[in-house]
Amino acid sequence: MKANVRRLSYMVLGSFVILCLYIGYVIVFMGPTLASDPHNRRLAAYEASIHRGTIFDRRGEILAVSKEGRRVYPLGEDAAHVIGFVSQRYGRTGLEAAYDRYLLAMNGNDKIKMNINRLLGRPLLGNNVIVSLDSRLQQLATQLLGDRKGAVAVLDPRNGEILALVSKPSYDPNIIEQPAGRSSGGKVVTVYDLLQNDKEAPLLNRATQGAYPPGSTFKLITAAGALTTDPGVSRRIFNCQGSLIIDGFRLTDTAAHGRVDFFQALAVSCNSTFARLGLEMGAERFYQTARAFGLTLNPWTDVLNEVAYRPGTLTHPEKMNKPQLGSSAIGQGEVLVNPLQMALVAAAIANEGVIMHPHLLIRVQDPEGRVILQSSPRPWLTAIKPEVARIIKEAMVEAVNSGTGKEAIIPGITVAGKTGSAQNPRGKTHAWFVGFAPAEKPRVAVAVIVENGGAGGIVAAPIAREIMRAVLNPASGME
Amino acid sequence: MTLSAASRLRAVERKLLYWVSAYLLIGAGTLYLWKPLLPALVVLAGALIAMIGFWILHLFWCRFKFAADPFLLPLVAFFSSTSLIFLYRLNPAYAERQLAWLMTGLFALWVVTRYFLHYRLLAEYKYIYALAGIIGLLLPIFFGIEQGGAKSWLDLGFFQVQPSEFVKILLVLFLAAFLAENRLALAEGTQRIWGITLPAPQEWGPMLIMWGISLLLLIFQKDLGAALIYFTTFLAMVYASTARVAYVCLGGALFLAGAAAAYSLFEHVRLRIEIWLDPWQQAEAAGYQVVQSLFALTAGGITGTGLGAGMPQFIPAVHTDFIFAAIVEELGLAGGLGLIMIYMLFVYRGFLIALAAKDDFACLLAAGFTALMGLQTFIIIAGVIKLLPLTGITLPFLSYGGSSLVANFIILGFLLNISHEVQITSGRS
Repeated sequence: MKANVRRLSYMVLGSFVILCLYIGYVIVFMGPTLASDPHNRRLAAYEASIHRGTIFDRRGEILAVSKEGRRVYPLGEDAAHVIGFVSQRYGRTGLEAAYDRYLLAMNGNDKIKMNINRLLGRPLLGNNVIVSLDSRLQQLATQLLGDRKGAVAVLDPRNGEILALVSKPSYDPNIIEQPAGRSSGGKVVTVYDLLQNDKEAPLLNRATQGAYPPGSTFKLITAAGALTTDPGVSRRIFNCQGSLIIDGFRLTDTAAHGRVDFFQALAVSCNSTFARLGLEMGAERFYQTARAFGLTLNPWTDVLNEVAYRPGTLTHPEKMNKPQLGSSAIGQGEVLVNPLQMALVAAAIANEGVIMHPHLLIRVQDPEGRVILQSSPRPWLTAIKPEVARIIKEAMVEAVNSGTGKEAIIPGITVAGKTGSAQNPRGKTHAWFVGFAPAEKPRVAVAVIVENGGAGGIVAAPIAREIMRAVLNPASGME
Repeated sequence: MTLSAASRLRAVERKLLYWVSAYLLIGAGTLYLWKPLLPALVVLAGALIAMIGFWILHLFWCRFKFAADPFLLPLVAFFSSTSLIFLYRLNPAYAERQLAWLMTGLFALWVVTRYFLHYRLLAEYKYIYALAGIIGLLLPIFFGIEQGGAKSWLDLGFFQVQPSEFVKILLVLFLAAFLAENRLALAEGTQRIWGITLPAPQEWGPMLIMWGISLLLLIFQKDLGAALIYFTTFLAMVYASTARVAYVCLGGALFLAGAAAAYSLFEHVRLRIEIWLDPWQQAEAAGYQVVQSLFALTAGGITGTGLGAGMPQFIPAVHTDFIFAAIVEELGLAGGLGLIMIYMLFVYRGFLIALAAKDDFACLLAAGFTALMGLQTFIIIAGVIKLLPLTGITLPFLSYGGSSLVANFIILGFLLNISHEVQITSGRS
């Protein structure tokens, strides 16, 4: 019987060994994931003991600050999407999420400093972040969009700093956790619950996550592709007869433009011309050109992700037939882009073909003002050669001065732009305007879309004009 | 010769007790320094009282030449110290009650080692235990109160008692006695069913009935964790005495059948299995406890957050079943493994006593008690780390819980008595 007892003892002790192995596995392998699980309140409790840092705009205006244990957003709905929010129940979004580690001083050296402060009983302060946004531009863009749905993306083509990202409809991030009524089951419903269920999708950042057909603004890319393939295109004359038949598919123009040169074709936004240029280029070239401008790519791959970004999409060349190619060349078909992407296209043309890496972070400072981190501009993509950029720029200037973009004229400043009226299944065309100014030495690039707003030149161009005017006008004090 | 053997053993015990006392004082000292929540002197006083209790017992044994295993008491003292430190850290009110129960347990231990040295006599009364056990389990069903889904508590005014903890002891006594008497018949068997030789019904009848009744009663009490322990201990003892793997397999099959029945019959069993398999589905509802336990376990990493620096307040009932999670959060993987290893040492010493025992009854008794402690520890720790479903039983000596603590001290007493008998009989021969 002793043998049995011995065997029994091995079994019992063996089960303890299994216990040791399993608990080792749980702690070593599951540990890191569990630490950041949203149900784990430890992080929240730890954070609550730290005074979260402030987010400032480029001029030192406060965009997000901690007051009495709560987070306050002075710009409210004007910058809700890009700044984001911090909420125990609903997580964290936008820059608040992106800069968590800075705002809570959880980066490497900061952690050591924090632990020392904690031991000594000093107040625990996070770091402050200065971003490239301009709060006045955010407010202006919100005002200009008014009650309409749409988005505005503004950036500085020289260095990639994003000056404004606005998306409407918007919401007030200060009140999302407040109760807003009761559901049919009697449960309390918060403002956020209502926002989530709102069919207008107010939580979506249309400026970076929107998926819109770009309409005629995409002709900038078609033009770039055509010029890169054959620089002689700029000297060609085209004959626009009001429509084009591609393999039985009829592609129409708003009017028969007759004989137009390259620059006029862009200025009046001739569909026939650019569809033809697209077909001549071929689907492969067309796709590569779009990609060169950043389509299908996310600028925040491999760097700290600052915004929720939906890269533009385009049918793959193998699957694109001729009618699709023609439509895509004029920004219809299956092309879908977000407004920031189109602003980057304008920035490429403005900056001699080089797209600087778009970013929001300028610098991180500790509570005493010492700079911990300073960002520096760097190039992202070389979309086109400088000569090509120069030609397209010339065409865009003509588009504003004598073409569809007349509403964007600013007295005393040469504005370059391209309008777009994108057909879409949901009603009136989306009104687009994409442009930059001043054309000689561009300091601002902007993309505006008003959903189902009608004609780009009439609805979107005035918004872009006011935004560019605000940036360039020295009297307003903006850069 | 017996006298010097006893002194030598007690000397070893004394040295170990010094270490454990130092451990307790360091823990109490850390809590003393850890403001602002604790009425600091209370901790030191409590620690001192606990220490004095263990030392008095040790000195008593020295005086009366007790020749039992010298490791078991220090191991248990270690558990009790850890328990007290953590209960003071979690909630001094619980610690104070636990201290009272600890004193009661030490007193019970003294009673057992003083008056039950001739434990062998107990073998004669096995059917009385069976009866007493059944009555003990019946009481809560009719007069009991429910706690945590199990109607297994008796409210005696000033405090509450859980009879199933003490009936455990009666079960092991009964089984040890019965199996020792009948083991040969049970092992060999006189009939063949399905090619397996099985003993005649009159052989295993009384045992199975007794066990079956206790199981049923536990199920009516809805204390399924205790039922699991009863079952596994039964199987362990049957295996130890008969070495028939067939019985174990039969038992396993019965268990699965029972589990399936329980799953379909009982809502809360279903729930327990669900939150064991995927607690995150119900992370804010039924699975909250398991999920928070996992967070606590991993929060400390290898070395832990340090005593007092963790956040056990997120785990409901952290002072009972989940005290292990709080300990691992603050003492780390290292601390958790250390604690498990101390339990392994306890089980190891217990089985050593069983193997050294002179006759079947003593051997089975020691093996049964050790298996009981070991399996209970395994089941509850496994539940806390989500290796097994949660079963609501206590971690021996560590969890807050009076009945469990006193019962475990009684078991310790019996183990020591058997060990003492082994020593003095081997000394004589």
